[in-house]
This record gives sequence, C-alpha cells and structure tokens, in this order.
Amino acid sequence: MSPMRVAFTAELEQLRLQVELMAVRVDQNLERMRDVLERGDTGAVPVALAADDEIDAMNVSLTERCYDLLRREAPVASDLRFIVSVLRVLSELERIGDLALRVIKLAPDHELIASNPPTYDILRSMADQVVDRYRDALRAWATLDLAVATELATPARSMDVFYERLLAELLRLTGPEAARVAITTFAAGRALERIGDHATIIGARLRYLLTGDPDHLAAEVR
Amino acid sequence: MEEGHDVTQTETELKDVPDVDLTVDVTPTVEATSADDNYPVVFDVKDLSVFYGSFRAVRDVALPIRKHEVTAFIGPSGCGKTTVLRCFNRMNDLIDTARVEGTITYHGVDLYDPRVNPVEVRRRIGMVFQKPNPFPKSIYDNVAYGPRIGGDKGDLDEIVEGALRRSALWDEVKDRLKKSALGLSGGQQQRLCIARAIAVNPEVILMDEPCSALDPIATGRIEDLMSEIKQEYTIVIVTHNMQQAARISDRCAFFTTEVNETSDVRTGVLVEVDRTEKMFSNPTDDRTENYVTGRFG
Repeated sequence: MSPMRVAFTAELEQLRLQVELMAVRVDQNLERMRDVLERGDTGAVPVALAADDEIDAMNVSLTERCYDLLRREAPVASDLRFIVSVLRVLSELERIGDLALRVIKLAPDHELIASNPPTYDILRSMADQVVDRYRDALRAWATLDLAVATELATPARSMDVFYERLLAELLRLTGPEAARVAITTFAAGRALERIGDHATIIGARLRYLLTGDPDHLAAEVR
Repeated sequence: MEEGHDVTQTETELKDVPDVDLTVDVTPTVEATSADDNYPVVFDVKDLSVFYGSFRAVRDVALPIRKHEVTAFIGPSGCGKTTVLRCFNRMNDLIDTARVEGTITYHGVDLYDPRVNPVEVRRRIGMVFQKPNPFPKSIYDNVAYGPRIGGDKGDLDEIVEGALRRSALWDEVKDRLKKSALGLSGGQQQRLCIARAIAVNPEVILMDEPCSALDPIATGRIEDLMSEIKQEYTIVIVTHNMQQAARISDRCAFFTTEVNETSDVRTGVLVEVDRTEKMFSNPTDDRTENYVTGRFG
C-alpha cells in the first residue's frame, strides 16, 4: 500500500504553518503591548495598527482556505478535527490581537497608568505572564505538543489573583485623578486578563485536536 | 452468475432439511454493554473464519449486529466484507468449497447448526445485491414471488402493495404492475429488489453495495429508504462509499487485508467496529484512521 492524498496532506501542513505565521504576527503585537506598558512609546501605535490589519487579512484568507478544504476534501477523523481546530484557533488569535491593540492604544495615557505604582506593577506582571502563556500556546501549536496543550487548558489561577488584587487596589484610590487612573488601568487589566483566557482556549482546542476525546471537546466548549 | 436464481434453486433442494426453531422473541440475548448499545443483538459473531478450500479468506471476526441499526462494512477490495456478509444468510453454502469456522448466532440460535433450515434463514434474512437483479417477470410477480413460494396465505395484492409502499416505489409503479420489471430504471429496479426482499417479511436485510450501480439521485432515494425502513428492519450493508457509510450507518465495521510476508497470502481481518460517529471522528486504530481519511487503502 502506498500513501495517498499526498497533496492534501501537504496542504494541511502548509495551513498549519500559515497559522503559525499569523500567531507570530500576534506575538509581535503582544511584545509591542508590553513595551507600551513599560515605556509608553506612542510611535508603536501606528505600527501595531498596520500589523493588526495584516493579522485580520490573514484570518480572512485562512478561514476561506479552511472552507475550501472542507468543501473539496470532505475531511473526516483527525483531518476534520484539524481543520475545525484551525478555524477556532484563528478566531482566538484574532481576538488576542484585538485585545493587545486595545492596550497599545492606551500609550498616550502611559503616564497616568504609571502614576500609581501598586496597580502599575500588577499590570506589568500580568503582561509578562500573559505573554509567557501565549508563547506556550504558540509553541504547543508549532510542535503539536499534548503535554503543553494540556497544561495550558487549565486556567492560570495566578491571573485571577492578579486581577482581583488589581481591582482591590483600584477601589482604594483617592485624589483628583483617581477615576481616570482607575478607568484606564482597568481597561488594560481587563484586556490582559482576556488574553490569558484566550490562550487557555487555544490550549483546550489543541488538546481536543490531538486526542479527539469527547470529554476534551466538552471542556473546550464550556 | 445470476445469484437471485441460484438462491431459489438451492432453497428448493434444501427444503427437506430438518428445522430448528428460529422463532424467537426479540428480547436481548446479550446484555447491552453501554448506554449507546441499547438495541438487542440480532447476530453475534465469534471467532469467525471463512475458507475457500484451503485458502482462509477472512479470519477471527467478532462483532454484534444490533436490531434496528444500520451496520456498515467498509474496507478495501478483497478484505472479506462481502464474504462475512454472505455468512449471515448462509449464502456461502452455495459455494461448494466454502467453509465457515467459529460461530454466528441469530437471537442465540447457532445459524450453522445442521438442523437449521437455510430456507427459513433466507426468509428471515433477505439480501439485496450490487446489481439490481429483478426476475424477467412483471413488477407484481417479482414482489409476489417470495410470498407465493413461501406459501403465504395472506392477500397477495395487499402484500405486494405494502412492500412497494415501504420501498417507496408504489407511486411510480402502481399503474403498471403487470408490466415487465426490466422496463424500470436501475434505481427503480433496486428498490423493487428491496420490495421483493421485504415482501416475505424478513427481520434482517443484507445489502451488498446496493448503490454502486446507481446514479447519485437513485442512490439518495435508496439511502432515504434505508433510514426509513430501519425502524422495522435490521440492515447490514457493504459499501465502498465512505461518505455513504458515514451518512446512513449507526455502526461501522472496518475490515482490511493482512499480507503474509513469506507466503504473500492475503487474509481479511476485522480491524475495528464502533459507533459510526466515533469511526469517522476519532477511530481507535491507526489503520482505520488511515483508511477513512483516505491515506491508505
């Protein structure tokens, strides 16, 4: 017996690599996000906006590619799980990109965010953690590593702790700028917390892709 | 070979074979093993091997066939799907050199017990072939054939109409029942063969690639028909069309061929049997995965 559907197999591998490429674009914007939080460089905003346009265009084009493969190849079993997983991961990546951009757009308010050291420190720690978590997701996707995916699929308790502490600190703020600091910091903190969630979802989807276990599907959809 | 005619000839020869009571109720003979496996087992196959002379065509098959389910046999050519299917109504009896080892029970009765009457077996377990094989008779006589030779005392007109209705052919043929069945289209002929099988009121219908000679529209009609009649019958189908297996079957058995490296002898084996949704979403065996995704075969 000789291997068949060689072209289709090659197309699936190419699709996986292109998703990886899109994930790298998102990663670059996450790095800009961390930079903006650190230094408030407003020059990063137009660059990030352009990169986000590129991410959106990749999302559309790769989604079309998935529909095309579904129509043409009527995939089943692991092929079907793979293409459906790509569709879902694409929208997660797109969301992460949007959330990163939301934080980057706060660059003009950097001074305000940095004016309250306790909340500013929490924000920077959250940013470090979500970028690490996202990179785990990227690595898991690149290597189709079940162990990393499984670890990611469990939500990070530390993110909840950071988020709760951030809210508590914001509620304690007083003074004339308190409301502005709180609103701006909260917007950034909320976006970071969401990014962490989306990385968790990527882990869960990857885990289902690799195992096909109906329990993992249920966990993914939950 | 005109298989339809052979069957009836052999049935006549085998008529005097002593009969074992095949009249059994439908209570399960094997306990359901999971929530998905609620339907009673009609056939239970254990350690089945089929030989043609000294050549073992298929070995070590074990699977249940459940009532009111469509069970599909899939696998590459020569893997023994049809050979196994033909064991269910003892069609292999008609081949001199064929020999069956292992057991197939039908509601707990050993189908190959010498006291079992093959004619009764084939009345309860009908068969539809790859190429429609209507008799060169009228549409009516084709359907009435089984009930007549079986000595059915019911109203023949009623039986014929009922069978044609259940096979979704009545409206198309009710005005030309006395015309030759050979004037029907391929798809209509195949539905007529299903009506002919149904007319003797079987419990099981075996189908050996029933759509492979039909166009997509006729295929769609047969598939619709199968999902309708499975409420009343148990269906086992051999198909090369994996999309068809995925669409219509509840349970799926994947067979493949093992090649002996030294002797180059090929033997069919059952790789995996499971719920169809499982077989086409996450099969357990890599060989199944490779086959359903079209990687090998």
